[in-house]
Amino acid sequence: MTATKEQYQEGAVQSGGEQTRTITLIQAVTEAIAEEMEQDSRVVLFGEDVGARGGVFMATAGLQERFGKKRVFDSPLSEASIVGAAVGMAVRGLRPIAEIQFADYIGPGFDQILSQVAKIRYRSGGQFSAPLVIRTPSGGGVKGGHHHSQSPESYYAHMAGVKVVMPSTPYDAKGLLKAAIRSEDPVMYFEPKRLYRAAKGEVPNHDYTVKIGEGVIRREGSDLSLIGYGGVMPDLLKAAEALSAEGVSVEVIDLRSILPWDRPLVLQSVEKTGRAVLVSEAPRTANFMGEVAYVIQEQAFDSLTAPVAQVAGFDIPYPYVQDKVYLPGANRIVAACVKTLNY
Amino acid sequence: MIEPFTTQPIRYVDPDGTPTQALPEKYTPELLRDLHAQMLRAREFDRKLITLLRQGRSTFYAQASGMEATQIGLARSLRAGHDWVWPYYRDHVLGMALGIPVFELLSQYLGTNSDTSRGRQMPHHFASKRFNFASVSSSIASQVPPAAGTAIAQKYLGTDEITVCTFGDGATSEGDWHAGVNMAAVNKAPCLFVCENNQWAISMHSRDQMSSENVAIKARAYGIPGFYVDGNDIIAVMEVCTHAAEWVRAGHGAALVECLTYRVGSHSNADADAEKFYRTRDEVNEWLGRDPIARVEALLERLGHPVTPEERTGIIEATYREVDEAVLKAEATGEPDWRIMFEDVYSDLPDHLREQEAFLRAEQTGGAQ
Repeated sequence: MTATKEQYQEGAVQSGGEQTRTITLIQAVTEAIAEEMEQDSRVVLFGEDVGARGGVFMATAGLQERFGKKRVFDSPLSEASIVGAAVGMAVRGLRPIAEIQFADYIGPGFDQILSQVAKIRYRSGGQFSAPLVIRTPSGGGVKGGHHHSQSPESYYAHMAGVKVVMPSTPYDAKGLLKAAIRSEDPVMYFEPKRLYRAAKGEVPNHDYTVKIGEGVIRREGSDLSLIGYGGVMPDLLKAAEALSAEGVSVEVIDLRSILPWDRPLVLQSVEKTGRAVLVSEAPRTANFMGEVAYVIQEQAFDSLTAPVAQVAGFDIPYPYVQDKVYLPGANRIVAACVKTLNY
Repeated sequence: MIEPFTTQPIRYVDPDGTPTQALPEKYTPELLRDLHAQMLRAREFDRKLITLLRQGRSTFYAQASGMEATQIGLARSLRAGHDWVWPYYRDHVLGMALGIPVFELLSQYLGTNSDTSRGRQMPHHFASKRFNFASVSSSIASQVPPAAGTAIAQKYLGTDEITVCTFGDGATSEGDWHAGVNMAAVNKAPCLFVCENNQWAISMHSRDQMSSENVAIKARAYGIPGFYVDGNDIIAVMEVCTHAAEWVRAGHGAALVECLTYRVGSHSNADADAEKFYRTRDEVNEWLGRDPIARVEALLERLGHPVTPEERTGIIEATYREVDEAVLKAEATGEPDWRIMFEDVYSDLPDHLREQEAFLRAEQTGGAQ
């Protein structure tokens, strides 16, 4: 399941001297959709404002013009009908990509995800399935207040029947989205909106996918495993860099997939380093990283030289003015690492 | 031409069997006897399954007695196995009328190895891919947005199929209902919404469920036609549903049919005695007087083609035999093995489920660590 180092280092994925391009994370999203629509007429894209407007973040800009209103269309302002209609389309043989404008708005569609998306394959004994993708901008850091900044991925990881992913680089964003669209299973695809334009990186010109369930080592190290996903990843790398200046060797892991997640990669790393610091910006209580911590203590207990630490958001609705204070930045991550190292 | 938005339910035959208007030619005595036989079979199916429940062979049943004309009349407007159905949980009669074998229904009801849902659903929540009969969810109205989606896909794919979505009157209070109907309406998707208004959502009467004069009138707000039908008059149901289905099939968009009917039994076996808690014997008696089966019998009598007691008994006995045989055949297939419990969550078996399956295997085979 675990990818080799060569596979996940950005810009090092190409063989035979193939050309790469540097693009932003949001361009990666657009490209992934366009390429999949190009090669599979079953793929349709819809949601609020995705058509002429191209989405509020412009993730779908130009796609309606290119593929027509039949394949790229605006839906009524209704998350329940966006998610629910995607189920019905998928059951009838299409490959819908449904955009929810902000992850914070999924609420009205939650019952559809819980009752229909996640269950229909199981409860019909495999007679019907819903291979669909729900894409949505997620997380904070854009001064959005609590209705434009939440990180609800843990809810969906708790809901057997859907897969949950969150990329942090253009390479992964494109590869994971293509994998999600081709998947026979419903995939919740969370897009870290503060990295939409902040994350730039190389992608190959050839077609590729990133396997759902595979994490990646962003930086190798031997003293401590720093594990995260999504919008916090640049902060993990910054923290690792700062610690490196102090002579600490930090291994940075990007989970990329939250469910299923790459347990072998994490366990292997922790067995090597003996310490783990888990980072996400979602509220701490019932945060998915609690599951990661549990598995580490269950399966790598003998390797641990310090308790597993968690850096998370707070158990409060996401605040507007205190945006930057709320988020676990590099300083908070470094402090947790130091505490763990000194245990 | 059948007009939408009538203030009184559209009716062709009064409860005493008197036609209220000239019946279309197709309603020959042969067809009427066929409809009668199907309704009687459904009624006795309910009776037989409640007996099975009392014998402890299952745990849940939601009878449709009193609603046979609505479900069978609707089925007659569809092309079985071609059109799609997103049903609600009381639609076994609709399923039977579309041709789903009693054996399949019983297999699901009993949770045997022959159950197409593989024992994952509580009794009465069946699915049949062969009949494009999507899986029943208990979550009220959650089938409505998916039905809109299936219809949108049918339009996208350029098929001549339509999608039918059924629900009770209670479902119309849910956000999903409004979201789904609106979604189908704005997309001009070939979706026929059918409200089987049996007037009670467990203990909540439809007059307390909504303040509009009926469900059909709500269609106006979504810009689609709404038909209000006497759901205990099978001819009216057939005529209106066929008319609406053809209209939908012709590419005009979605339509809504409300069939005003009544469930004479309780909501389910878990609902104890309805008359003790939330409705009166007088009300039940009044609706028993509008019974859909008795109505066709009275009509046939009037037309000079009465159903004889022997014929009635024959249908009832054949139904019981059919159910008994299906039960034995289904039970002979045994219970689904625990091993399949982890299948169909995803298209593949992720590592974490593989491990959980291994744990259970060890436990079940006596080798747990």
